[in-house]
Amino acid sequence: MSTPTTVVDHSALKVNQTGIVATVLVAFIGGIVFQPLLVLIPLLAIVLLLGTFAPQLALFKQIYFKVLKPRGIVQPRPVLDRPEPHNFAQGLGGVFLAIASLFLLPVPVIGLALSLLVAVLAFVNLAFGYCVGCQIFFQLERRGVLRARA
Amino acid sequence: MSAQLWALVAVGLIVLAAASLENLRSRRARRLAVGATAAPAQEPYILYFTGDSCTVCRTHQEPALARLGAVRIDKVDAVADRVLADRFHVYTLPTTVVMAPDGRALHVNYGYAAAPKLERQLADARGRALSAATA
Repeated sequence: MSTPTTVVDHSALKVNQTGIVATVLVAFIGGIVFQPLLVLIPLLAIVLLLGTFAPQLALFKQIYFKVLKPRGIVQPRPVLDRPEPHNFAQGLGGVFLAIASLFLLPVPVIGLALSLLVAVLAFVNLAFGYCVGCQIFFQLERRGVLRARA
Repeated sequence: MSAQLWALVAVGLIVLAAASLENLRSRRARRLAVGATAAPAQEPYILYFTGDSCTVCRTHQEPALARLGAVRIDKVDAVADRVLADRFHVYTLPTTVVMAPDGRALHVNYGYAAAPKLERQLADARGRALSAATA
């Protein structure tokens, strides 16, 4: 079996997941008293999708690399790992939030439910290390939809 | 407020439905996989299905397997060795299978399995092997 030769800093992933959960919660709960806060959901979708295709634009990860890590606020946790499944999971979260954004005005219940679902999955990954997006990535790789790395 | 409340109810129901489906799927896969065969060995051993996209395998499962001591662990790439993975209905990573010495699967764990759980399953496999040898 090929062992990954790349190193992924899992602290960056945790900061990213914390950012997702916090942003959705602020939009969800804050939206009760101040509806314009719901704009955070389409903004988060943009941040996640941009970060998937251009890691230098991944806002939460950049906060970690430029602010939290250099100041010792969050310690790095490098793990031999592949970045692709994590990027795939982040992209999937971004797609779900983009769909949620489309529903926020016409059918707010669907938009809010999809956003909350993304936050729940990010929380499960943050708290228990179980990445649903990575499992979907494995299934797609197994079925040959995504090409397995040689 | 009511939109948030309904969204919360909807997500609660989705999570509950997903957990129930996962439970059914894992029970069905376990039922089909127990008894499937692989290579025989002198002692009970573990088939460990993993893949290089599985992070939890490296961060949780492998340290748990390392705590088991002197047990043979056959590491299988579930993406590369699809035939073996399909035989044990591997649908999630990691998957660990406790094998009897005659090569039959006794216990199948889909998802992370902690060391104490694997130790109990290995003890059961050793007990069964001993009763079979003395019978």
